[in-house]
Formats: sequence, structure tokens, C-alpha cells
Amino acid sequence: MADHAATHAVHDPNIGNTGLDNRKMGMWAFLGSDCMFFGSLIGTYLAYKGKSISGPGPHDVFDIPLTSYSAALLLASSLTMVLALSHLQHNRVKSAARWLLVTALLGAHFVGNQVYEFTTFALHHGLTLSTSLFGSSFFVLTGFHGAHVTGGVIWLLILVGLAWRGQIDARDYTKVEIAGLYWHFVDIVWIAIFTVIYLIP
Amino acid sequence: MANQHAAAATTHGDGGGHATVRTYINVAIMLAIITAVEVATLYVPGIPNWLLVSGLLVMSAIKFFLVVGFFMHLRYDHPILRALFVGPLIIAIAIIMAVMALFSAFLLLPRHVL
Repeated sequence: MADHAATHAVHDPNIGNTGLDNRKMGMWAFLGSDCMFFGSLIGTYLAYKGKSISGPGPHDVFDIPLTSYSAALLLASSLTMVLALSHLQHNRVKSAARWLLVTALLGAHFVGNQVYEFTTFALHHGLTLSTSLFGSSFFVLTGFHGAHVTGGVIWLLILVGLAWRGQIDARDYTKVEIAGLYWHFVDIVWIAIFTVIYLIP
Repeated sequence: MANQHAAAATTHGDGGGHATVRTYINVAIMLAIITAVEVATLYVPGIPNWLLVSGLLVMSAIKFFLVVGFFMHLRYDHPILRALFVGPLIIAIAIIMAVMALFSAFLLLPRHVL
């Protein structure tokens, strides 16, 4: 068994000296750097909180029920993502593709809600990127998160297409797992944003 | 079979043990309950600000580590992967606290108290 594992490691060009998959290590390193990126944006938002001299404030514009619904969408998409991985692990490729598609649709729904929220802020409350410190820090932070989600949706749809055409099977588990790591990361960033930006008074 | 073995070796061979579908569903239920409690606390009158803020932060941290530990498999993965994520996470938290301290922005107390 150990020999088999060693042979597997020797013949797989993606396994490095640590015995770990280089692609997976790369993704974790990227997620670590993205943590610091979002940490800076959240810190900036909190530093500027309550210091705007013009425009509406956070609790004049936030729609907590809508944002809670969006948070639930992302949490549900994390579950569907791990279910997709579980199906792929057992080589049930079509089922995995279906769960990946559900994950992408939930993500797209989240992005749609965010577009609606941004539009409402701009058109009904007059809050834009240049209105105030709050507008700048809020739109930059949540906009970057939305861009991450959008990138994730595109990535998932590509995987769905590949799986549907039979170009992915259980051997490609790590490729899908890496996409899953990225997807869960956008979920945990939203967990932080939802609490710190939307819920804390 | 060989494919499944290869996938399993790549995925869970690093740290031993793995989460099952039942675990994932239990974690999702816990996440849903915590989120519902978080939102519900906003509508409960009379909660002191420090208690509300610290409670929300604790619930958020629990959700964060549930997703990272179980959905991202970090609980079962190799310590190197854990270090690659937790190290920068600590730096990120330090950045947030440093920036807030520089701007005298504190979450737990209303500004007029400071």
C-alpha cells in the first residue's frame, strides 16, 4: 500500500517534495493572500465607518432581509459544492455536474441580488462610489467580493461544461476540489462581511 | 476503481480521516441556525451594544471555522496547508485591528464613549 502510494507520488508531476499537490498548495497560498486583501478592505471600511460628512449612512440604505437571503444563498451553495465533490469522488460525474450547476446558479442569484442592491443604493438613495467615505469603502469591498463570486460562477460553469462532455472524471477530483476551495473562500469572506458590515450597528 | 482510489489518495490522504455527506449536511444545518440567530438578534430590543457586537462576532467566527474546517477540509488536511491559510489569516486580523486602532475606530463601544 505504501509502495503504491509512493509510486503514485513519483508518477504524478503535480505532487511536490512535500508529498502534497502543488496546485492545492498554490490555491491555499492564494487564498491566504486574498485573506490579507479582504482584511485590508474590511479594516478600511471600519476605519471610515461613521466618518462620512455627506450622503446616506449604512443603516439608511441596508436591506437586511435581502442581504440575509443572499447570505443563505452562499451558505447553501457551499453545501451543494461539497455534494458535487462527493459525487465526483465516487465517479458519479453527471450527478456532480448537476450539483456544480446548482452551485453556479446559487452564486449567480447572489450576484443578481448584489446588482439589485447596488442599483437601489444608487438610484433610490443617491449613494455611489464617489458620494462619501462610506460609499467608497462599501462599494470597493462588496464590489470586489462580487467580482470574486462572478469569477467563481464562470469557473464552475466551465467545470459543468467539461463534466457534461465527459472530459472530467474522478481522476480530476483535485481540479474540482481547487475550484471548491475558491468557492468556499468567497463564502467565508461573505460570512465576515455580512456580520461586520451589515449586522453590527 | 483505480480512478476512485487515485482521487481518494489525492484528496484525503494528507491528514487522515474525512467528512461524510452526513457531516456536510449537519454543518449546513448548524450554519443556517447560526445565521438565523444572528439576524434575529438585531430585532431583539434592549441588548447592550457590547453584548450584541461580541455575540455577532463570535457567531461569525464559528461559521467561518465550520466552513474552513469541514467544507474546505482543512481540519483533515496537512499542517502545511493549515499554516498557509492560518498564517495570513492572523496577519489579516492584525491588519484590521491596526487600521482600526490608527483611526480610533472601535466596534465594541459607541463612539461618544471614547
